[in-house]
Amino acid sequence: MSAVDISGVVKRYGALEVVHGINLAIEPKEFVVLVGPSGCGKSTTLRMVAGLEEISGGTISIGGREVNKVAPKDRDVAMVFQNYALYPHLDVAENIAFGLRVRRERRDVVDKAVAEAAQILGLTEYLKRKPADLSGGQRQRVAMGRAIVRKPQVFLFDEPLSNLDAKLRTHMRAEIKRLHRRMEATSIYVTHDQVEAMTLADRIVIMSNGHIEQVGSPMEVFLEPANTFVASFIGSPPMNLIDATVTSVGGVLHGVIAPENGEPAQSLPLPSAFAAGAREGQAVKLGIRPEAMGLHPGAAPAIDCAIDLVEPLGAEALLHGRVNGQAFIAKAETPLDLSELWSVERLGIDTARMHVFDADTGKTLKARG
Amino acid sequence: MRLRLSDYFQTLSEDLRRDWQLYLLLAPMMIWFLVFLYKPMHGLQIAFKDFSIFRGIEASPWVGFEHFGALFADAMFIRAFWNTITISFLGLIFAFPVPILLALMFNEVQNALAKRWAQTIVYLPHFISVVIVAGIVINFLSPSTGIVNTVLGWFGIAPIYFLTQPEWFRPVFIGSSIWKEAGFDSIVYLAAIAGVSPTLYESARVDGASRWQMVWRITLPCILPTIIIMLIIRIGNLVEVGFEYIILLYRPSTYQTADVVSTFIYRTGLQGTQYDLATAAGLFNAVIAFVLVYTANRISRKVSSTSLW
Repeated sequence: MSAVDISGVVKRYGALEVVHGINLAIEPKEFVVLVGPSGCGKSTTLRMVAGLEEISGGTISIGGREVNKVAPKDRDVAMVFQNYALYPHLDVAENIAFGLRVRRERRDVVDKAVAEAAQILGLTEYLKRKPADLSGGQRQRVAMGRAIVRKPQVFLFDEPLSNLDAKLRTHMRAEIKRLHRRMEATSIYVTHDQVEAMTLADRIVIMSNGHIEQVGSPMEVFLEPANTFVASFIGSPPMNLIDATVTSVGGVLHGVIAPENGEPAQSLPLPSAFAAGAREGQAVKLGIRPEAMGLHPGAAPAIDCAIDLVEPLGAEALLHGRVNGQAFIAKAETPLDLSELWSVERLGIDTARMHVFDADTGKTLKARG
Repeated sequence: MRLRLSDYFQTLSEDLRRDWQLYLLLAPMMIWFLVFLYKPMHGLQIAFKDFSIFRGIEASPWVGFEHFGALFADAMFIRAFWNTITISFLGLIFAFPVPILLALMFNEVQNALAKRWAQTIVYLPHFISVVIVAGIVINFLSPSTGIVNTVLGWFGIAPIYFLTQPEWFRPVFIGSSIWKEAGFDSIVYLAAIAGVSPTLYESARVDGASRWQMVWRITLPCILPTIIIMLIIRIGNLVEVGFEYIILLYRPSTYQTADVVSTFIYRTGLQGTQYDLATAAGLFNAVIAFVLVYTANRISRKVSSTSLW
């Protein structure tokens, strides 16, 4: 039995449909991250699970019980909000205890639960402080404490780290991960940050325009993107998508990059896993991760390029350039002399790590096993 | 010290040069304050003089606190003072919470159209002239044709002379004042409620709070600073009672409970031409109001960290 089962769920605001019949089964103790750009329907989906938004169609079940018409308080879920949603007039202890107090739990039970949560989250010395006297990270921990004491079936996180600075976000990310390991509670986490998604999730659900584009483990969605949207969303910098046409060269299918401004056509052999799904003359997009481009091609397939920007990041550098007029980003180790990078004219391509997508549908041409 | 003063004026002149447009915008309000609130203070000295309209303020002889002594010896003034305090205090108890309750109720109305209608209906009386309101009240409470006595008559209750019996004046005055102003006064609280983050309610819903618990544990504490500010202002006005409305409603037969300091000043000063005595009464009123608002502000600042200044 799934901990949370989302089946054919639709959300409409009047005539506008924003979530189009999504299906997702979340297993007990699983940490699932819904990720996607703004407006993709991830927060709406989370709010439907919480009961804060009505469902226009389909069913949501929690612990095997359909909760479509069940009030949020009776769904046995706890939610952590982006802006913390702490009660400004209550101190930390009272904020953490809020959910238990309104349910009229016994005082000794409440006090014990608050003390435990505070100890887990390192808030013991701040229990008498008001939210206004806490830092962003401490506030977010209080919000998590309020969720923890409820001991719900499912934790819901709505972009809980978005208001924190980069350093604190990294720190809190690790805390959430540790907390999940300790609590072993089913968690659904919404974010637009793919790094957060990759680092936290057991499974990532990538959403776009109210649809689920792909569900899989972080490495699955990174290594086997189902379409160009996932390919360009997961990974930093994103996968390069270069327009090409499938052409047979010496009996081997190649992706041929059309000539541009006097630059001759260039071609790369399609990996065999993709070649089986491709046909000659098909318009495709060659998906090449920045990490799959090398400065020293040697015997590997290579393409001619022109570098127009170098961004040194320390140990690595990003090379922005063009291949037959099409923009790309490559990642390389930073040499001692940066001018070496500016003078790069040819990049080796690890075609074994290359992806091929249909140019019209955006779907991968890789045959699914 | 001289150096400090010159520094201050230099800073001021720099500010004026740089932000003259802002000071220009401020000027009309400053002029209004000076002409209508500060310049008349010059006339306060009448309270300490044996004022004659023919001699003028400057030529009238000083008499010290003689008028204040006369006032405190005047049973009519003492009665008016206590009536003022009583009516204001009853208003504080009964009228002050009504706008808060109305705002909380409006906030709970889910249907936008119903909410707009309800708000419009309770705001409307505020825009009716106090003279018309007094006319409506007099008509409604008429012993012979008033709707209230007609309804009472259906239950076999003899007509009540609401506006001529002293014991009825305060309930009538406070009740009709609530009807007139409570709706409009609720706007302040509605604005405060609108400022409460909706995620607090969403979080509370998920945590299991009922509507009542949300009102009690979230809405009220979140608008408490606004309630306190309004309470301080109200306490500052404890010695000020809507004098036009009282003049329109009271009769000599109800002076016993209806005569307040402002109506006493009106009768003594304007009708009785005892300007010096009336000014003393007004000054006494103002001093009491200042002490009240200052004390309330200090207490509030200590207890709740909310204050006017």
